[in-house]
Amino acid sequence: MHIVCCIKQVPDTTQVKIDPVTNTLIRAGVESICNPYDIVGVEAAVKLTERYGGKVTVITMGPQQADSALRDCMAIGAHKAILLSDRAFAGADTLATSYTLASAITKLSAKDPVEIVICGKQAIDGDTAQTGPGIATRLDFNQLTYVSEIINLDLEKKVIRVRREIEGASQIIEANLPVLLTVELQLGAPRYASLPNLIKALRQEIPVWGAREIGADPDMVGLKGSPTSVKSIFAPPPRKGGPVFDTSDGLENSLNSFLDTLFQKDQSILTEVLNPNSKG
Amino acid sequence: MPKNSKGRDIAEIIPAKCIGCQLCLGECPVNAITMEGGVAKIDPEKCIGCGKCVDVCPANSILFEKPRKKKATAAEQKTPSISEYKGVAVFIEVNNGVAADVSWELMGKGRELAEKLNVPVIGFLPGYKVATIAKEAIYYGCDVVYTMDDPLFQVYISKMYGNALTQLCNQVKPEIFLIGATPLGRDLSSIIATKLKTGLTADCTGLDINPEDRLLLMTRPTFGGNIMATILCRNHRPQMSTVRPKVMKMPKRDPERQGEIRAVKYEGPAEIVPRIIETIPFDTAGAVDITRSPVLVVLGKGACDTKYFPMLEEFARLLGGTIACSRPLVEAGLLPYLRQVGQTGKTVAPKLYIGIGVSGAVQHQVGMQGSERVIAINTDRHAPLVQIADYAIIGDYTKIVPELIKGLKERAPALLKEGVQQ
Repeated sequence: MHIVCCIKQVPDTTQVKIDPVTNTLIRAGVESICNPYDIVGVEAAVKLTERYGGKVTVITMGPQQADSALRDCMAIGAHKAILLSDRAFAGADTLATSYTLASAITKLSAKDPVEIVICGKQAIDGDTAQTGPGIATRLDFNQLTYVSEIINLDLEKKVIRVRREIEGASQIIEANLPVLLTVELQLGAPRYASLPNLIKALRQEIPVWGAREIGADPDMVGLKGSPTSVKSIFAPPPRKGGPVFDTSDGLENSLNSFLDTLFQKDQSILTEVLNPNSKG
Repeated sequence: MPKNSKGRDIAEIIPAKCIGCQLCLGECPVNAITMEGGVAKIDPEKCIGCGKCVDVCPANSILFEKPRKKKATAAEQKTPSISEYKGVAVFIEVNNGVAADVSWELMGKGRELAEKLNVPVIGFLPGYKVATIAKEAIYYGCDVVYTMDDPLFQVYISKMYGNALTQLCNQVKPEIFLIGATPLGRDLSSIIATKLKTGLTADCTGLDINPEDRLLLMTRPTFGGNIMATILCRNHRPQMSTVRPKVMKMPKRDPERQGEIRAVKYEGPAEIVPRIIETIPFDTAGAVDITRSPVLVVLGKGACDTKYFPMLEEFARLLGGTIACSRPLVEAGLLPYLRQVGQTGKTVAPKLYIGIGVSGAVQHQVGMQGSERVIAINTDRHAPLVQIADYAIIGDYTKIVPELIKGLKERAPALLKEGVQQ
């Protein structure tokens, strides 16, 4: 069984700070990590191969530096990694990205048929959740999004059964292989990489494939292959702060003046929501 | 103007402005640009001063002053077929026989865009026994509803719905196609865009028409919500966009409104795969939908002590609301993931958001910036949430909240009585 995990290197948004003067993101010096949803997918893939055999190949499209995210995945058990890096890939939107990743999966499939592709539900920097379904559509794989549990995999019948989180409900659903899953964090946190595995991952060679290696049409990758373009970028209008009530000026007084202001200014909201009969 | 050792004028990146989009990397003919720590960096010795990177930078983050020939205004080659596309289409999402509110919200927005373009609003409605919903669509502003009424569409299956809507887009040819960014809509939109090979912009918070070229201006938060980007889809149709629930206003329902309903036959393969084995609705006791609550009392890292949870729940109940939280509480296992607000949790837009001990990091703010009123209770006067709150109370929440409960109970009867009299 061959599983391919698609990952993305993203800035660690927990470290991102805002420049108070320009009100823009300070990205310099921010560490890059493997998208948290994606690494959960890699862990799930590794677990599947531990139980059913087979191998996990991790791929990413990005600059040369993205190989560190691939090594993180190898350190937790992925068998092979490939970096898709080419100047022609730069500026890709989700349509061009899914084309590039699907082309690479097709190439991998020629040697060793890919039966499961796993992507994170979304990337934390772009939040679009479009790339996974895009790849599934291009490969004509069955698509199972928002997977929170892999219940069963029957390799003989080539059927996978999973739990999906949909609006207001969980769904148990079964699909034939080949299949593409996009996964939720509930699937389970990635294991810690042991030191020997970390060192091993660092020493592994990671092949770099460009547009030519994956047989991609140069007009369908990167900026050229992207129907959307950025027209302009601006800082969002900041929400203006209102009055501040400091309880160190006296708890009762400050809260009274807060409630006075609130009841005066936002009477309509309070009338709508207040529920004095609720029992505490 | 900086020069390199060869005396060439070179371009320079302003790191604070760079958004790390990497467009310049692809444009540079001599590979002089690399990414370092999330921002682009130009190797001065490699740079030949052509200025191509300046042209593509969407953030104006490249300094380059050398006078040079302006590129001839991009006489964008428009495919002739683009003019065949007309109208603003909205996908009408149906769950268990009920239309999703977001579909009507988009119908309202679609109406506004269609009036600017002087074109009709079109509804796409695959489903089973959807005649009543088709009429509702007209009441909410639709001019023509295309239904695909078939038992095949009784429940949502990605592939089937993808085929159905691709067929509708190819037949009807709308210039704009709007889809609600619900879990279902996000699953579906990318399939359609991929099949139609057109552009799709996710989670737009603003949609407008550029009067000069009639293009759809799609504005969305990007890079963690701190930057807004306006996206265009110039040469492909339809221009597709998803919008999260509650971002657009619900239009007025007008039962007198007239429109047309056209039934379309599904022409794709009729194979229902994958197979749904079971659907388990969240039990009402354990799970809540925080996106539907009018008031949220949101607990942050500063309100982790479970001893006070009952008090906070009482506070929430008094206000007709429920408890939500920021990410650290979920990570600590104190509250379930379903209650998490923020980038990796839910997007909420309650009438009243009360953040208790919530610092308000960017990732949290993107999930709650649509709230009508924000109250922050925090010991730290400099916490980001305190800066944006409509009301901030500085101090210890364990002392403040009981006083607020008391105060609200005292004042509520008079207010509610007054409300009745009015």
